[in-house]
Amino acid sequence: MIEHYISLLTKAVFVENILLAYFLGMCSFLAISKKVDTSIGLGLAVIFVLTITSPVNWAIHHYFLEQGALSWAGFPDIDLSFLNFIVFIAVIAAMVQLVEMILDRYSPTLYHNLGIFLPLIAVNCAILGGSLFLVERDYTFFESTVFGFGSGLGWFLAIVSMAAIRYRLRYSNVPVKLRGLGITMLLTGLLSMAFMAFSGIDL
Amino acid sequence: MRSNSYTLIFTTIVTVILGFFLSLAVTALKDRQILNVEIDIKKNILRSLDFAPSTENPWTPETVQSIFEDYISSIVINANGETIKGKNPADINSDEDSAMYPVYIKTMNNEIDGYAIPISGKGLWSTLYGYFAVESDGLTVKGITFYKHGETPGLGGEVEKPWFQNNFKGKKFVDNNGKLVGVQIIKGNVDETSIEAYHQVDGISGATMTTKGLNNFLMDDLKTYESFFSRIRTGGGA
Amino acid sequence: MSFLSKKSQQVLSDPLMNNNPITLQVLGICSALAVTVKMDTAVVMTLAVVAVLSVSNTIIASLRKLIPSKVRIIVQLAIIASLVILTDQILKAFMYDISKQLSVFVGLIITNCIVMGRAEAFAMQNPPWKSFLDGLGNGLGYGMILIIVSFFRELLGSGSIFGFQVVPDSFYAAGYENMGLMVLSPGAFIILGLIVWVQRIVADIEEE
Repeated sequence: MIEHYISLLTKAVFVENILLAYFLGMCSFLAISKKVDTSIGLGLAVIFVLTITSPVNWAIHHYFLEQGALSWAGFPDIDLSFLNFIVFIAVIAAMVQLVEMILDRYSPTLYHNLGIFLPLIAVNCAILGGSLFLVERDYTFFESTVFGFGSGLGWFLAIVSMAAIRYRLRYSNVPVKLRGLGITMLLTGLLSMAFMAFSGIDL
Repeated sequence: MRSNSYTLIFTTIVTVILGFFLSLAVTALKDRQILNVEIDIKKNILRSLDFAPSTENPWTPETVQSIFEDYISSIVINANGETIKGKNPADINSDEDSAMYPVYIKTMNNEIDGYAIPISGKGLWSTLYGYFAVESDGLTVKGITFYKHGETPGLGGEVEKPWFQNNFKGKKFVDNNGKLVGVQIIKGNVDETSIEAYHQVDGISGATMTTKGLNNFLMDDLKTYESFFSRIRTGGGA
Repeated sequence: MSFLSKKSQQVLSDPLMNNNPITLQVLGICSALAVTVKMDTAVVMTLAVVAVLSVSNTIIASLRKLIPSKVRIIVQLAIIASLVILTDQILKAFMYDISKQLSVFVGLIITNCIVMGRAEAFAMQNPPWKSFLDGLGNGLGYGMILIIVSFFRELLGSGSIFGFQVVPDSFYAAGYENMGLMVLSPGAFIILGLIVWVQRIVADIEEE
């Protein structure tokens, strides 16, 4: 059984990286990946929030929204799954707030480092994408947690490697019009190819 | 800065209005969506059984319904491959009756022209759902389709493409001794000179795990239906 | 477009070239690229984004004086999310095949930075009609890039346009092969990078 989770984790981190294979979380990726230390901060925040929101959204979908999910309350025919989008985004926004408050109270240093990134995360597509994927793919509770963590870790790796590459790029002679977004996209393409090399992995 | 009560009233009104319109839209569109899903499943059953839309005769919801009614009959079988009388696939409740399996039979000119069975199982990411059709001899593949999956487009998602599905046609899932061997998707292309070629299908590059999953659940589903198909092969009829 | 004043025209046309949301404002790339393997999904996605963006801009602009500033983000989000759900339901009811292919990416319009970005940056300060045009313009500017990317990806990756084969069989017979890379994600990144490059040369824009 444990192999199954390891395999799921590897898939989420490397084989089908949420950023490099599904393009999710691109906006903040492009905006933040200029510096390594801020990238690490945002990356950690994404791991954190994805790991929390994935199982929470799973539970909400499973016990409240899915077709027949309300049968425990006596409404077996109700199908509220059309509310998925709005409920998920609300949960994500609320979770981000909650995480912010908890960090502020118990770990001021971490709050200081992650604080400014947390509000950015509520509108990071990778977080909502993670929740939508786990519904689409019928994951169980534990699979959702592992998948959420793995996707976050994958995103973290992608943004940190990108920031490191862009740092080295400062010493290169890039064509003027290609500087900035253009070269970043091309590099992301190459990075994405590198991650695809993992697709042969079979656990 | 407005007062808290204004904020509260404002958000409540917005929520109520949005909620009202959404529920209205969802209720109004529900029947159409359910119909879409049903038509889509029927299209897949038809496609697996070698029906295809043409330019003169495109598949609208109405034509799909009428083709389905004209040529397809459905039965429900039990674990021993015997027909359960008086049941049809709509009666199967996946939670309760685990030993009831649907079979869709295509009849052309009063002769049976093939059987379609539902298949489903895990690919790389998601559960794949589709239909697998068998010729009237009970051992040759007539077709395969997938109507729902969450695999990556371009990789595992290729299972829904005709080039992949067409490879299955004419393959056999039973060996010369009548033993169930399943259809096997291999890595790369099939070597036509190999003695195993009769049950092998070209793989999808970059989708090793999807096809591995497919091999496994296809075999499982075929095992479930084996008693039914072996009756057909020995002439016992359906 | 004589019925539009010059200023309105500018609001509409600016985002197409000089201030394109994807290539210059760097917004909304998230949900954009995954649906560009085929042109038909890209076109439907464009329509969905244009619809959501122009309607959400109009609604938010008409409510802009009523929305309490404390909860404005969540109100914007609620309006946008409701419109996206509506779009998703309509797609499921009337264009089932395409909605299956778009899968979760319709839902991701909610977190598409363009929609939130335009609501916050434009619709909160401008009257409904202008905001509607801004939404339309930005939606189309976004769609334009989407369609260009999907054109190249489908042409090079599958040898077809809108599902019709355009690369003649004789090419394949002579040894031409579809470029598998274009179907996969790196293709999208590289095409987009090149588009950005070309566009900046044409529009003569530099980044520091």
